[in-house]
Amino acid sequence: MILNKFIKTLKQLPRHSLPPKGKGRSYASYEESRQPFSRAIEDEVPGGTTSNVTTAQVEALAQAKANEIISEMQQAQTLSKSGRTYSRFDFVNDIVDNQTAVITAGLWSDNVGSLSTYYTSSVETTSQRRYYINIYQKNPGLTGSAVQFACAYGNAVGSGSSALGTQEDPASKAVYAQYKQLLLEPNDTRFTTAGSGSTDSIYVVNVQRNRVKEQLDAGNWQLPLTTITSHDQNATGSVAVAGKTLTLIDDSSVASATVGSTGNVYNIVSGSVDNGVYTPTSPIYYGLFYPQYGTMILDGKMLDQDLSFATNLSASNAATAEGDNHFLLFHSISGSLGSSVAGFEARNQEKITSTHYFVRIKNGEFNFSNNPSFTTGSVGAFSQTSFVGDPKTYVTTIGLYNDQQELLAVAKLSKPLLKTFSREALVKVKLNF
Amino acid sequence: MGYLDNSSVTVDAILTIKGRELLARGANAFNITQFAVGDDEVDYGLWNVNHPLGTDYYGVIIENMPLTEAIPDETQALKYKLVTLPKQTTQIPVVTVGNTSITLLAPGDSDIISPNTSNLNGGNGTFGYTAILGNSDVAALRVTKPLQNSVLPTAPRFIGDNEDAQSVAVAGFEFRISAKTQMIEDKTTTITIIGNETGGSTTINLIVKKVTTNTI
Repeated sequence: MILNKFIKTLKQLPRHSLPPKGKGRSYASYEESRQPFSRAIEDEVPGGTTSNVTTAQVEALAQAKANEIISEMQQAQTLSKSGRTYSRFDFVNDIVDNQTAVITAGLWSDNVGSLSTYYTSSVETTSQRRYYINIYQKNPGLTGSAVQFACAYGNAVGSGSSALGTQEDPASKAVYAQYKQLLLEPNDTRFTTAGSGSTDSIYVVNVQRNRVKEQLDAGNWQLPLTTITSHDQNATGSVAVAGKTLTLIDDSSVASATVGSTGNVYNIVSGSVDNGVYTPTSPIYYGLFYPQYGTMILDGKMLDQDLSFATNLSASNAATAEGDNHFLLFHSISGSLGSSVAGFEARNQEKITSTHYFVRIKNGEFNFSNNPSFTTGSVGAFSQTSFVGDPKTYVTTIGLYNDQQELLAVAKLSKPLLKTFSREALVKVKLNF
Repeated sequence: MGYLDNSSVTVDAILTIKGRELLARGANAFNITQFAVGDDEVDYGLWNVNHPLGTDYYGVIIENMPLTEAIPDETQALKYKLVTLPKQTTQIPVVTVGNTSITLLAPGDSDIISPNTSNLNGGNGTFGYTAILGNSDVAALRVTKPLQNSVLPTAPRFIGDNEDAQSVAVAGFEFRISAKTQMIEDKTTTITIIGNETGGSTTINLIVKKVTTNTI
């Protein structure tokens, strides 16, 4: 209807102002033909020019028409959605998929970034304790206590661990071989650190898998170790710590990772998260860091040298062989509590792939509800008479559906969102995969 | 299911059991194409037009309410959906059926369920209705007037989160419910009819009588 009115209005305008139609008309004849109209307009609008006034008229009419078309489209859209509870996504504008982001978080339970209390459990069996010791963040008898990491000791020839007589089963040899298989190239037989070269003696910090997520965050961990002053032959007995406390970090801030079949490998060096590598031009190397494995391999020789571990290296068939050296590492870590350094700080890291769904709730949509409290009686009358002509609803839940109207994902808002004919809402729902 | 922190507006999104199932199936089975919004926890009876602080506070008791976390069971979420209607609407579309109670006396007895939508011309005229039979041991449910060119399931499908689920759902314009043999006792269940467009629903009570035997 408006379009017809617009055309009628245009028809009423003198044709002279419009470009000539048909072939064979020269520009001169066109200019001549528009003269009378120009003069007429100029007479009517003092100081105005023909082209300005004509353009303004056309623009005004065009604007009015455009507004009308938009209004009709909106009405048509509303009508087409009338009685609908589902609204389709515009795949171009509303769905943004395959968004990846690297997420880091505190490594320890409850996303704590610094571990400063260390407990062991008496539940572990003797045979387990020959190989490793689990470290908890709180007394294992308390609710919420969970394994944070494990300490182990490995020796390439089985030193520091009893062969158990004719069983020939030194735990330290098994541990060394296990990590060699996991972390070294197929033909390598020994761990080699920049601190002491090839080493038969390794201490292992192995973070619980569910804390690691995808990997430890290189450059954002710090392991405190305190000097061992004395200990029994078997470190499950008395162990005394005092004096110097070192903090170890990886060298990712000053050097690139070595990339091998086990992924990225960094050196473990003396330093701190806050101040970086100690003497970065000539770092002191203590071992190797495997972020994807959540594992730190510490060079036993370096710990003996700088932190007086005095690792029990008795031959596996000796009477004093059962050293349980991994308890030395536990005491060295837990003994750092009295020092000025923070606890065992670390973060995990994972790559999250997300799809973002932009839920656009326009002003004319979703202003009525099937909620039983929205109506009263059996004919669907509003329970609140003030809602007639000005309904109000609250959005609390967004459901994402497929074509079969199967509910695939649910999003809950943290608070009800008021929706009326004068309010629109845009809610971004992020699904992580 | 805890409460969400409502000190700032956030969105807590999870996959439903059905969503995880389709995601695991792969091959683009997980394909979100549309959305609906709901207000399951809202009691509009709390809307207080007599609030002493005036208009802005009519809904304050609802707006300040902390919401609970999303639940993954797709059969329990979004029970009450918001619906788009013209502004001058004074009544919500209501899904109705002829009988709100059906009693079937013998095995094989059947009845037709023809849902209608009042207060909205052509309401649910495209996507029809979904009928959910609460216990498929009691009766059989099938479509007698199927949807046209619809991707909605017209064959009964089990709903629920485990293999023991006995609820079945089917979409169409008209349904037939047929009694199954009940040897031990009368069996009772419900049939819920949901408008696939307007979202409204109604419930029918179904009773299937125990088989009676004559003694000679």
